[in-house]
Parts: sequence; structure tokens; C-alpha cells
Amino acid sequence: MVKHFQRRGRKFFGLDKQGWIKGFFGSNAGISIVVLFLICFFLVVEAFRFFPAHHEGLKVYRKSGQEFVGHIMEQVDGYQEFVSFTNQAYFSEYDERFGKERGIKDSWEALLGEIEDGGEDLAEALEDARDEEDEAAIAEAESDYHAFLVDLTSEVEQESIDSFGRLKNQPEVWAALLEAALTYDPVEEEIPAFVAEAVRLQSEGMRSFAQAKDDIASAGTGLKDLRSKLTTITSQIAKDAENEKSNEARKFAILEGAEKLEGKEKEEALAEAQLIIIRDEFPYGERVKPLSDSKENHQEAVKTLREKLTRGIANLPGDLSSAKASELVEEIKKGRDRYLKNLDRSLRQASEWESDERVDFGESIAKFFFGNKWITNSSWTDVYGLLPLLTGSVLISCIALFFAVPISIGAAIYVNRLATQREQTLIKPSIEMIQAIPSIVLGFFGIMILGEHLQQWSQASWVPEFLQIKDRLNAFNAGLLLALMAVPTIFTLCEDALNNVPKSYSEASLALGASKLQTVVRVIVPTAISGILAAVLLGLGRVIGETMVVLLVAGNRISMPDWGTGLGIMVQPTHTMTGIIAQEMPEVGPGTLHYRALFLVGLVLFSISLSINIAAQKIIKRLGHA
Amino acid sequence: MNDSTVTLDSADAPQVAVNEPIISIDDLSFSYDLGDTNTLRNISLDIPAGKVTAFIGPSGCGKSTLLRCLNRMNDLVDTAKVTNGKISILGQDINAPDVDAIELRKHVGMVFQKYNPFPKSIYENVAYGLRVQGIKNKSVLDQAVEESLQKSALWTEVKDRLGTSALGLSGGQQQRLCIARTIAVKPQIVLMDEPCSALDPIATARIEELITELRQDFTIAIVTHNMQQATRVSDQTAFFYLGKLIEYDDTEVIFGNPKERQTEDYISGRFG
Repeated sequence: MVKHFQRRGRKFFGLDKQGWIKGFFGSNAGISIVVLFLICFFLVVEAFRFFPAHHEGLKVYRKSGQEFVGHIMEQVDGYQEFVSFTNQAYFSEYDERFGKERGIKDSWEALLGEIEDGGEDLAEALEDARDEEDEAAIAEAESDYHAFLVDLTSEVEQESIDSFGRLKNQPEVWAALLEAALTYDPVEEEIPAFVAEAVRLQSEGMRSFAQAKDDIASAGTGLKDLRSKLTTITSQIAKDAENEKSNEARKFAILEGAEKLEGKEKEEALAEAQLIIIRDEFPYGERVKPLSDSKENHQEAVKTLREKLTRGIANLPGDLSSAKASELVEEIKKGRDRYLKNLDRSLRQASEWESDERVDFGESIAKFFFGNKWITNSSWTDVYGLLPLLTGSVLISCIALFFAVPISIGAAIYVNRLATQREQTLIKPSIEMIQAIPSIVLGFFGIMILGEHLQQWSQASWVPEFLQIKDRLNAFNAGLLLALMAVPTIFTLCEDALNNVPKSYSEASLALGASKLQTVVRVIVPTAISGILAAVLLGLGRVIGETMVVLLVAGNRISMPDWGTGLGIMVQPTHTMTGIIAQEMPEVGPGTLHYRALFLVGLVLFSISLSINIAAQKIIKRLGHA
Repeated sequence: MNDSTVTLDSADAPQVAVNEPIISIDDLSFSYDLGDTNTLRNISLDIPAGKVTAFIGPSGCGKSTLLRCLNRMNDLVDTAKVTNGKISILGQDINAPDVDAIELRKHVGMVFQKYNPFPKSIYENVAYGLRVQGIKNKSVLDQAVEESLQKSALWTEVKDRLGTSALGLSGGQQQRLCIARTIAVKPQIVLMDEPCSALDPIATARIEELITELRQDFTIAIVTHNMQQATRVSDQTAFFYLGKLIEYDDTEVIFGNPKERQTEDYISGRFG
């Protein structure tokens, strides 16, 4: 039979030319899918291993008693604020009321120091002479000493003695001090009457305040002592537990190595391994006994603190001359109730602490997603809470969209519907050119120029106080720059959406006597609305994933915004999910808890962008059906 | 109102007696490329009020362009330009600098080749022209919508679903909705650019019926490729060829006893 129509050409490895070409293009598409899959897989695996490790860490935190001490630390930290506020209030009140007297006292003491330093030998000579009751020697020593005093008082400078300038405007007081110094007798060591009077005046005037201050300052002594004692113990426990765990691995390694050795070396290795004792479980229970035993001490210390602090605060004088002092005292009184409530709560939590209580696995998840602290590389214990970073990212994105959305939609409408051909050829490439600016350059601009100017402008008198910028690098600054980066994305997609509106719609509208603007508002935008929405969403995706600008400009302070300032949170420094990864990833060791925490942040970020993109695609699809 | 601005407001617009020209085109030349080549050349044509005038001719002869000159839709093309002559509607030169194209279009409505209702409800489509004029009164709008839909023979079909999307209607219904939308603004003149070319024969018949009824209230200029349609609906017919007006006369004359050879060749199908 004659064959027709058979395939021509040779086959290589079972594929002809067409097959190879198809395979080449197909494999290119395949590679990107495989890579995407691998990235997702890697990200998910690394990130999800955070939770068991975090759980382990939380278990150690509880077992080693660090949790118990953590409560005490919290109590002490809160208390220290009262001490520092009281001190500030005390000294500003002191200066306000007894500035002159304090100046006299301090200056006299400083003068005395000078005199004693310089005239030590002469004073000794005088004392010896007086002991020996040798008239001539006494007279000589006295005149020598007097000459020294005359020299000293003529040379001494007021600024160096009265270093705080409290007597700057009191020349007669200064003169009196010098006068008194001239007649100072190093053996009698008599204090001049007016100095003694000044000391008496101020100590009497400040007595009640000083007492309250001392009460407050001494209130926490017991608790502080307890804290330092227990911190040492519990840190040691945690360290020992850690060591024992690594010992286990070490012993295993030595034994494995010994298998390959011969004779004496093998014996030595085995002996070394023998020395490493491994227990089934680290004896937390017996190690934390001192902590359990100090629960009563803790109760006692807190009770003392509570009593003394309450008394001290109650005794703080009400009518103060210094405005700053009364403000501080006001703060102290306001903060008292909240602190006492926290004190009770943490006392209860501390008393409920049991070393062998179970840690729920859910806790390791909840503490990550709802924790409002992110503390790393700390000397005490690391805390991984997502909230401050998430709020930072969301805050900056909101600011960025607030500015970018109206600008880009407005520009898109103008270019697509209202501009002439020439304007179009100018505006469109200009806006798309913004995309060409490297983000590091934008960040640099944000630090050096925008931040500086924003701060200056915000000091203008019409700007409300809560919006005045204290930190040059803050969320607002970063948001503005991100808005600039989002504009090209939103603009281009928006313009596409407007372009997709059939020309016949605008023709029909214009033929009915509508103006161009009416046509845009009533027909074009409502028809393109899903496309515009998708554009905004993709802009959001762009903004939330941006790293370099926020890392440089957002200020990188990891804390929850101070909600009390209302819109003022916009001008506070903040940190973001992208920024923290960029900042901390180079410093962490692979496999550590910190490393996995950063991966988990990355996974959260990835999920957010992914859902934004999916939502945008869904919206665009719906547009297709409309 | 400023005296120097001439507006075509329906209240004080000059009324033209029947058989007097409502549109008067005088020696018009028009170009799409700023005058390099003229798409329309020296066209002079008077369209009487209250009649249906059909524009026929082979593709590219300029009949649609002429129609779009009448409500200045060609303004949308940046490089479009009237190079010679003028168009007067209701006695007013529509290309004069003080004429507002938006005001003009309220008096000269247009129905397009492809039905193009907005992606809004049926009600909103008809009310659109009034809404952009700033009319908000619900009863005025309701009345105008009902009246226009009745005139365009759509009322009985859609009165129970005025709130549903206009895009759910059939093609013929959508085109009639577009006519309703156009006449809701109460223009004096309605321009139709091949209104039936996208419709099936039955829908076409209904539109033709509608045109015959509408001639009582409006002056209609219609572009058509369908010679039978021209004979069925129009009073006058103008035949264009290569941007020139070849012949313009009563429809019976054009189709029965044309004066020009070209016209005869075209209507008898010898070229086209």
C-alpha cells in the first residue's frame, strides 16, 4: 500500500521539531509555577514551625519562674515612674520656692570644698599650733591661713562655684558668702549664721514634700530587692536548662564519634561522654523552690509598697508654686488608681503562678497575633507580638491611600476624558515615570527634605497641637511617599478601566445634552467603578508590601500608637511588617525563634497581599460580566 | 440671560411653520483633518420641518458625517473642522462662537446605529437627559418617562419593570428605549444614524412604524443603507456620493424618476 501524508523530519528523543518548540515554551511557564510553589511551601513550613518553638519558649518561661519574676518586674517598672515623677516635681518646686536659699547652701558647700582642698596643710598647722598653745605659732598660722583665704576669695569665680546660676542676680549674697569665707576658721568649722538660716528655711519649707517624696522613694525598696534576687535565680535556671538541653546533643555527638575510634581514644571519648549526666527532665520543680517560697515575701512587699505609695501620694502638697510641679503631681494622682489596679492584678497573677502548670498551645498562637509588644535581643526575654507592626503597616497604608486615591482617580479622569491630545501625551508618561524612581531615592528624599520641611510647616500656628510633628521620621512622612509610589499603579489601572467604558456611552450622554463633566460623573465613573475599585485595591497591595521607604522614613519605633492623641497617631514614629523583616533578618541565626517569628510575619504579609490581589481579580471579573 | 448669547431654549425658540426649512445647510464643506482633505464638499440642503428626510448613498459618502455635523458630535474629534459654508438650525448658525454645543444638543437629539442604553435601569435611562438638565422633581420625571415610553411604543412592555437594567431588554427594545431617551428631552429635531442596521426584520418594522408616528411631533433626519426603508418612511431623500450631494428631492421622485444618472444607477443596484 502506498503511504501518503506521513510525518516528515527526524525525531529526537521521541519529539519532533514542533514538540521541542512546544516543550521549550511550556517549560518556561512551568518553571515560574514551580518556583512560586516552592516559595510558598518554604515560607509556610518555616513560618509554621514558629508555633511549636514559641510554645516551647513559653513553657520554659513559666517553668523557670521567669513568668513570676516578669510580674514583679512589671510592678517595679510602673512604680519607678512614680519615683521619677515625684523627684522631678520635688526639685522643680524646690527651685521655684527656695532657689536663693538652695544657691546659698550649695555655694557655701562648694566654697568650703575649695577651701578644704587648698588649705588642708595650713589648717593642720593651725590645729597643731593651737594644741601646743604656742601664741607666736598660732598667730603665724592664723595669718598664713588668712592670706590663703584672701588669695582664694579674690581668685574664685562665681560661675564655677554657683554652677546652676542660682545667685546670678544676687551680688550681695555672693559678697556675703565671700565675706563669710574670709573669716572661716578651719578648726571650729562654724557655719555662718545666714547660711544656717537658709538651710533651716528650705528644710522647713520643703519638709512635708520631702517626707512624701521619701515615702514614695522608699515604698518599693523591698519589692526591688526581691526583684533583683529572683531575677538572678531564675535567669540561672533558664540558662542551666538550656545548657542541659545542648549537653544532650553533645553527648550524642561524642558517642557517635566514638564508634569510629579505636582503642585508647575510644575509651577516652566514652569516659568523656560518661561525665555528661542527662536527666529525663530538668528538675525545674526543685530549682524554683526559692521562687515559690518568696510568694509570701512578694505579698508583703506589695502590701508595703501599696501603703507607702498611697500615703506618699496623699501627702503630696496640693498648693505648689511651680507650674511644672503641679502638673506632675496631677499626673501622679491621675495615674495612681490605674497603677494600683494593675498592681493587684499582677499580684494575683503572680500568686497563681505554678511552675508545673500546663501552657496551652493556643497561647503561643494568641500571644503572637494579639500581643502588643515586639521585643527582641533583650537581656530578659524576647516577646513576639504582631499587633504593633500590623497597626503600623495599616496606618501607613491608610495615610498613603488617603492621598493617592483622589489624586490618581482625578488624574485618570482628566487624562482619559477631559484632556486634549497634547496634554495626554504630557501627563500620562509623567505619572508613569514616577514608577521609575528607585524607592531608596524616594526614602532619601523623605529623610533629608520632606521630613525636615514637614516638621517646620507643622509648627505653624494654625496646625492643631496634636498634629505638630515631634519626630522628623514618622508614619505621615512615610505615608506621603508611599502615596507617591501608589499613584502610578492606581492611575494606570484606573485609566484602563475608564478606557474600557464603551465610547457609545459617552456619545449617547453628550447627544442628550450632558456636559463632559456630567457624562463623567453620571455615566463613565459608575460604569467603570469596579475597575476603579480594583485599581485602588492593587494600589493598596503595592503600598503594604513596600519596604525600603518605610524602613528609612517611618521612624522604626516598635510600639502601639498612643490612641489618646486621636489623629495625632499619624505623626508618631512607627514600624511595619516589611520594615522589621528587612531590619532584623540579617542579624538572626537560622532556625532560632526570632528567625521563625520573622518568617511568620512574612507569611502574614504574603497572605494579606494575596487576598488583596484575589479580591481585585474577582472585582475585575465581575466587571467583565456587567 | 445675556442678550449676546443666543440659546436655543424651547420656550423662546423661533417656531418654524410646516414646509419651511428648519435646517438650512449652505455650501458646507467639512474636514476631519483640519482642512487637508474635505470629507463633505459644498453641500447645500434645506430640510423642512415636520418631515422625515432620508440620507442615502454608498459607504463613505459622508451621509453620517453630515448628520453628526447637525448636532456638532464631530466636536469630539479634535481635528474636525468646518472649512466652508454654514449650517443654520431654527435660523441660528450653529457653528457661531457663541453657540453652546450642549444647548444645541438639547434641541437636536440623536439615535445611534448600535443601540447604546446606559448600564442603568430603564427608568434612569429615559430620565437621564432631564436629570442632567437639573430636573429633580419626581412627578415631572415620572410623567416624562411615561410619556416618552408611550410615544416610543415601549410602555406596555416595560411598565412593570422600570427599575430593572436596560441591558436586559431585547435589541429592538433597547433601540426603542434609546429613541424614548432621546425624545424625553423634547428636541425639535431627531437625527437617526442607521437606527435599524443592528436589528432583525421584525424589530426593524416596529422602528419604522415608530418613525412614521414620531414625524407628527419631530423633524427627523435618518441615514439608511436600506433603500426600501427610505421609500417606506421618508418624505424627502438626499443621495450623496463621494462627499457631494448628488440629488435631493421628494422620495417618490428620487425612486421613481431620478434626474441624475448616478442616482438611478445606485437605487437600481448597479453600484454601491
